[in-house]
Amino acid sequence: MSDHKERLEQSLSALMDGEATEMETHRLLKAVAEDPKLRDRWKRYHMASATIKGDPVATSVDYSVAISAAIDQEPAHRSGGLAVFAGSAGRFAIAASVALVSVFGVQQLNTPSSNGLINGGSGMSEFASAQAPAENTGPAIQFPSGFQPVINARTVSAGGNNKSSQRTIPVLEVQQVPQQQVKAQYSEAELRAYLNNIMTKHSSHAALNSNQGMLPFARLSEIGGKSAGEALSDKE
Amino acid sequence: MVVSITVDKTLRATSNVLKQAALVAAVLLHGSLFAEPMESAQDLMERMAKASRELNYTGVFTYEHRGNLASAKLIHEVRDGKTYERLLHMDGMQRDVVSRSDNLDCLRTGDMLLRGHAYKINDENYSRLQDFYEFHIKGDGRIANRQVSMVHVLPKDKYRYGYVLAIDKQSGLMLQSVLMSHAGKPLERFQFVDISIGGALSEMDSQIQGSEIDHIDQADCVQLNRKMLSPQSMWQLNWLPSGFVLASYQSPDANGQESMMFTDGLAVFSVFIDSVKGEALPSVDAKLGATVAVLTKADINGHQYAICVVGEIPRGTASQVASAIGISP
Repeated sequence: MSDHKERLEQSLSALMDGEATEMETHRLLKAVAEDPKLRDRWKRYHMASATIKGDPVATSVDYSVAISAAIDQEPAHRSGGLAVFAGSAGRFAIAASVALVSVFGVQQLNTPSSNGLINGGSGMSEFASAQAPAENTGPAIQFPSGFQPVINARTVSAGGNNKSSQRTIPVLEVQQVPQQQVKAQYSEAELRAYLNNIMTKHSSHAALNSNQGMLPFARLSEIGGKSAGEALSDKE
Repeated sequence: MVVSITVDKTLRATSNVLKQAALVAAVLLHGSLFAEPMESAQDLMERMAKASRELNYTGVFTYEHRGNLASAKLIHEVRDGKTYERLLHMDGMQRDVVSRSDNLDCLRTGDMLLRGHAYKINDENYSRLQDFYEFHIKGDGRIANRQVSMVHVLPKDKYRYGYVLAIDKQSGLMLQSVLMSHAGKPLERFQFVDISIGGALSEMDSQIQGSEIDHIDQADCVQLNRKMLSPQSMWQLNWLPSGFVLASYQSPDANGQESMMFTDGLAVFSVFIDSVKGEALPSVDAKLGATVAVLTKADINGHQYAICVVGEIPRGTASQVASAIGISP
């Protein structure tokens, strides 16, 4: 560690103890602006002191920076009508993938019993960082970004606002198939229809029972608004 | 090098230097040190919950996830004690949902939790939103040409996500909502680009007269401090993420599908159980924007059931819920 750096870190400690001179503070301010490592250290000190005080540390989770960073990194808009639920299912041999998925399923959390609330304090800072990789990358089997733009025409009828024509596609037909026969081979279209249907119903539930009003319906951007309404009415 | 952190000393000292340091720290931590007390953030949330239901407004908002953008027009009108809402998608296929709520005073579970009321889980335990989230006012902003207060909502555990909300100072309406992953990454964003609040909404009239209403809400209202719903279902969840309560239950329909919906006041997830399609569906995880779906199967006495957990929750939570579903003893 260079002399300069060491001096800065001593100044930082002093500052945290309320013992830094004005000169030191000025120097620190300047250095912190240029040195992300030092900034991190400062942050950590604050977290540590907050932990000691018993203050919630979560305040150090800084959304503002993350938002602008993520917006910067966002890929250009993809072309085509996306967003049909699980549209990319076809990329996998679904039957073969079943085993994989179930292995990955529970990786993120501990068992329910050992896992109460994480109260403020040190747990929180770990939570922000350690949780991150699992959250972002996910297992390989998770559907990648950009659902394939294929299937609008199949899952949502082109009937527009015509209620009766919208009714046709989903799951209902599939039930006619004797179950033994489909056991080995899962129809991708069927899975997609099922997920779309579930998603639609979920949005209806959310609109009804949460305070988000109609906003959940906006999530169904490509699934079809009318069918969302219907999902509700057949619940009633 | 020894780093000593003497907090008490820090708190007591009032030197000029320290004030500067505090200022710097405040800037570094984006004002969190100077954040308003919890109370006012709570008030803001409560006002938001009321405003979105009780005011007349019409506006255009965008919904964005992973580089995909959709826009929709929302019209919300209260007339004769009834609430009318219409959502018109502005791009892609022509889509339109109109709904009517007959009881303005009816509080749903989510409303109630958001308004800060406790929800009785059982005889001893209450669920409150602030037990599971922290609320921080993070200064001011401007959205849809209106002045807003920015509120960061941080989850206290890893079972739910956080939010960045922009709440209109004047009306209390929520003009922006960004769902944030634990890593601080935005997962989806609702944001109004233009909104007008108050006044009569003539546009709605023609809509309501001209088109049928897709959905009429006559859902059960929730009474304050009422006990959690207990469904007459053969299924039970052996584990629920803390703070989530059952908000609705649908008994099996003609297709053998039953469902339950849970909310903690902000986050919502649904559980679907299919008795017919169990064998025809694989176990998969799927994701659309911020919504995950975990589809698993359960074999009960030789019968295959499909269990699907869907919601804007971390995948880990969804899988854990899915694996905790079993038959009532």
